[in-house]
Amino acid sequence: MLIYLRKRIISSALPLVVVIVGVFALARMTGNPASLYLPLNATQQMRDDFTARNGLDKPLLVQMADYFGGVLRLDFGQSLRTGQDAADMALRAFPATLQLAATTMVLAVLLALMVGCWAALKPNGVADRISSFVSMAAASIPDFWLAIVGIWVFAITLGWLPTSGVSGAGAWVLPIATLLLRPFGVLVQIVRGSMVSALSEPYIKLARSRGAGELRVVTHHALRNAAAPALTVAGDLTVGLVNGAVVVETIFGWPGIGKLMIDSILQRDFAVLHSAVLLTAVAIFALNILIDMGYALLDARVRPVTVKA
Amino acid sequence: MTSSSTPLFAVSAVKWPALAAGALLALSGCSVANSDAAPASGSTLRVVLGQEPPTLEACESNLTSTGVVVRSNVTEPLVERNPQTGELEPLLATEWKATSDTEWTFKLREGVKFQDGTPFNAEAAAFTIDRAVNSKLGCNVEGYVFGDADLKVKAVDDTTLTVTTPEPDPILPLRLSFLEVVPTSTSTTAKVREPVGTGPYKIEAWDAGQKITLSSWDGYWGDKPAYAKAEYQWRSESSVRAAMITSGEADVALGLSPDDNMGELGIDYPNNETVALRLEATKAPLNDIRVRQAINYAIDKEGIVNSLYQGKHKVAAQLVPEGIVGHNPELKGWAFDLDKAKSLVAEAKADGVDTSAQISLVVRSAQFPKITELAQVLQEQLSQAGLNVKLKMLETSQHLTYQVRPFPDDEGAVALMTQHGNQAGDAAFTVDQYMLSTGAQSYFGTPAFDAMIKKADAASGDDRKKAFEDIFAYQNDKVVQFAHISHQTGIIGKSKSVNYTPNSSSGDELRVSEMTPAS
Amino acid sequence: MKTSLSEAAAGDQLPAVGQLQPLKDRKDGNLSLLRLLLKDRFATVSGLLLVIIGLTALIGPALVGDLATKQNLLFANKAPFSLAYGWEYFLGSDSLGRSMLARLVVASRTTFSVALPAVAVALVIGSLWGVWAGYHRGWRENVSMRIADVIMSFPSLLLAVVVLYVFSPSAGNIVLILALTRIPIYLRTARAESAELQSRTFVDAARTFGAKPNAIIGRHVIPVVLPTLLTLATLEFCYVMLAESSLSFLGIGIQPPDVSWGLMVSQGRQYLQTAWWLSIFPGVAIVLTTIAANVLAAWLRIATDPAQRWRLALPRRRLIARIPVKEAKP
Repeated sequence: MLIYLRKRIISSALPLVVVIVGVFALARMTGNPASLYLPLNATQQMRDDFTARNGLDKPLLVQMADYFGGVLRLDFGQSLRTGQDAADMALRAFPATLQLAATTMVLAVLLALMVGCWAALKPNGVADRISSFVSMAAASIPDFWLAIVGIWVFAITLGWLPTSGVSGAGAWVLPIATLLLRPFGVLVQIVRGSMVSALSEPYIKLARSRGAGELRVVTHHALRNAAAPALTVAGDLTVGLVNGAVVVETIFGWPGIGKLMIDSILQRDFAVLHSAVLLTAVAIFALNILIDMGYALLDARVRPVTVKA
Repeated sequence: MTSSSTPLFAVSAVKWPALAAGALLALSGCSVANSDAAPASGSTLRVVLGQEPPTLEACESNLTSTGVVVRSNVTEPLVERNPQTGELEPLLATEWKATSDTEWTFKLREGVKFQDGTPFNAEAAAFTIDRAVNSKLGCNVEGYVFGDADLKVKAVDDTTLTVTTPEPDPILPLRLSFLEVVPTSTSTTAKVREPVGTGPYKIEAWDAGQKITLSSWDGYWGDKPAYAKAEYQWRSESSVRAAMITSGEADVALGLSPDDNMGELGIDYPNNETVALRLEATKAPLNDIRVRQAINYAIDKEGIVNSLYQGKHKVAAQLVPEGIVGHNPELKGWAFDLDKAKSLVAEAKADGVDTSAQISLVVRSAQFPKITELAQVLQEQLSQAGLNVKLKMLETSQHLTYQVRPFPDDEGAVALMTQHGNQAGDAAFTVDQYMLSTGAQSYFGTPAFDAMIKKADAASGDDRKKAFEDIFAYQNDKVVQFAHISHQTGIIGKSKSVNYTPNSSSGDELRVSEMTPAS
Repeated sequence: MKTSLSEAAAGDQLPAVGQLQPLKDRKDGNLSLLRLLLKDRFATVSGLLLVIIGLTALIGPALVGDLATKQNLLFANKAPFSLAYGWEYFLGSDSLGRSMLARLVVASRTTFSVALPAVAVALVIGSLWGVWAGYHRGWRENVSMRIADVIMSFPSLLLAVVVLYVFSPSAGNIVLILALTRIPIYLRTARAESAELQSRTFVDAARTFGAKPNAIIGRHVIPVVLPTLLTLATLEFCYVMLAESSLSFLGIGIQPPDVSWGLMVSQGRQYLQTAWWLSIFPGVAIVLTTIAANVLAAWLRIATDPAQRWRLALPRRRLIARIPVKEAKP
């Protein structure tokens, strides 16, 4: 396992560089930020000064070499917008998103397992129909719309929750509920699908014939088999969350990395964009390694059961 | 406290009883406001903005998002323009006069201290001007207010400052009202995110991404403000900002939309912003004045104002609204006359103008409430006049490439939707940019028109006013680079617990000291 | 790697499957797909709905003509469910007095012309690539997976802005972004399934008989993996519609005068307090389409799987009675 881990980490280094190089090149295609940072009536001289001061007049390859040189010295550049250290800004924003994404995914997986199992017990039954309708609807509502309606209903009309912000536990409810729906909806489908298949496997019959209770059959036998595809999908969904909490962060004023990223893109704040991308890329790579390892573990635990049957 | 309509600084001598009351209020409030979890009560003013200020650097305070927090709260300028009267009023300078064609002398207020304890004097004022205007710092205010011109500054004695301009500049004091004074200890090589100033509030904390807290400063030379603290948060959705007022999470919210349906919690104020189409008259079909006139006739300004903006905006006939020096009250908006527009286009066509050439209607998405709707209405109305209009909604950076020189050359004629805000109060800030043939945001001009503008820039007093009024009339008659649409009205959300009357500069400079808790 | 989704599907590759099923169920297998469909009310309704929506997108825009763009500022934000202004305003009017109904119809075409190609392109490229990588394993698999990592950690928002900036914000370009960023999803799933299959007996057998890798992939691997991927694709269809909507929310998606359901929800959100129908109707359209597509896909997966098909033919009461046990097992 350790050798595997080391290999994975080493083999992830190159893709990481590819991501940054790609982002670097693409970002430069979106134009010179000078007019964003200078007053509208700035003279050409001022524009040239700005461009030179920020090294944007050099050839792309030189800029890139400068950047990677800086990275090796742990100098990630300065934000054009705020003048702060770009890496600091990204590091400060990252935990907020991570907390949000982690809480959301844990809740989504737990809820989806419960609902998915419940639905799978009687395929095409009432519970199944209801849960699949609800989960599908949940997964197909635009998140920004849901967030605004949520604020309207729960913060204004009912007054139960704060509209936005980060202070207090109440402030977590709406952002998480908004983020939760899609992963939950998708996972219910996946869990249900694999549970239906798993419950019709011979070893389940075996377990039943040995007199195992229904609950035990579901949790100890079927769920193990069904967990693997759910894990893969949950992993992909988490990656999506880390990358895509933008909308929720924008609406609720959540100081996370998604908001930082979209702002830095729209403001052509290149150094911040690189740092944010680098950080999320590292996190996503780590997550993928974790998922694969989790998968291997799960597989090792599951396999003997299947083989015996 | 100070009644909200009178400027604080003008009447400081008579406000001692009020000061005492304010201090008492502040004291009683402090202990409550310290805990984070408890909802901020009366002594903390909670403001919600549209975006986080990128920095609070004083020499960038002409940027709306920076200025709204820092100006007149944390830092103060030498002189200040009263947004109601348009007059300049003393602040850190008590009097000023032109001592020659190119030299102005300022008498400075005595007994003023910076928040770091150092005294305010002519040296600090000179340092501030040098730092913002003559340095390599690249301050935004430098380009915005002063252009290329370097100023010579001299501290004659502790309370006397002279400023010399390369050319005669009748509105130098107005320009200086954009410079927020900082102490000599401020870095000259780097911008400072959290400046020290002479204002009634000092920056207590900035939780990046979350909020900025200002707290009232005991050593302030003027009246102590009613609120002991001011807390700024930001939400980019206007509906969320509105919701924060409704739910009592904020006291003041900026930049609301008429559709946020705030009822009596929403207060309208003229925000000095004007919306217009700028027509690229160097390319067909816009190179024919009849086509440009047709565009003016084809736009149903009344309909737009009444339907889209619930009658809150005003039909515009020029780029600056009432209250700006140079606004011409005689001008009336172009009549909505589709038949006339059609016949003008037909005339131009008959004369060989290619009226079927595509006009790109370039619009910045989310620049102001309902801009998408407005853009679609304009596209429809211009098409009805017989023009071939393609709508292009662009994000900010891309829109800027169309807005300022050098203009892109690779596409046909552009009609650019521009929202122009004249924060300074003098038409020169509009005309120099938008109408000079070399102006940064001007497609074209004529030599005669340029001469008029140059003359107006150098004039002062009533002559100046008249000269600019003539310029706006001339543009509508002879130049027609613009199709004016409306003077906008901003909406501030305000909870019932706050007394405050917004004015035309509230969006750029929100003076917390003008706000008082309602009893 | 083994997922139970493929488990069920893998069954029909084996000759033994059908024979072991109870006789009674076997003859139901002969039912035509359509008759089978009519037996399932939910699937029938979903199918009908999709046909209607599809037809609307196909011929609707031609029928409503310029109704979708005809403005009338004096007639803005009229409430829905009234025939007082004629059928075209039954769903109300929008902020510029245009018919909501007509706009929904026109928007349906844009929505589909973004979502369908985006899903199809990503599905085809991602699946083929993933199956190939998983079948061959080794360096091909490693390189492919790292490329997937790269795409997944790449900010799609940046891509959107680049496309907006360099090209024009047309539907075609949005398709490009969405397709590219969703390839890894299929790539990873197809790779996992195919890697597991390539060690199975029936693939081994084909290999011993000298079949070429591409032939094995085409004949034996893809048919087995396909149901899972198609299910994924239906889920993705929904995701793509939502992603397009989110891009609109951030101001970097489809731009007016083009109109899609996502854009309508995004634009309508500012009127939630004054004209709720502006964002609710297009939102409902998205939700209905998604649910219908998923219900039908779920049904289709069972219906095309001989090992599961008998379930659909059972009377409803019996279905609920007990969890059926599949007898066949390789």
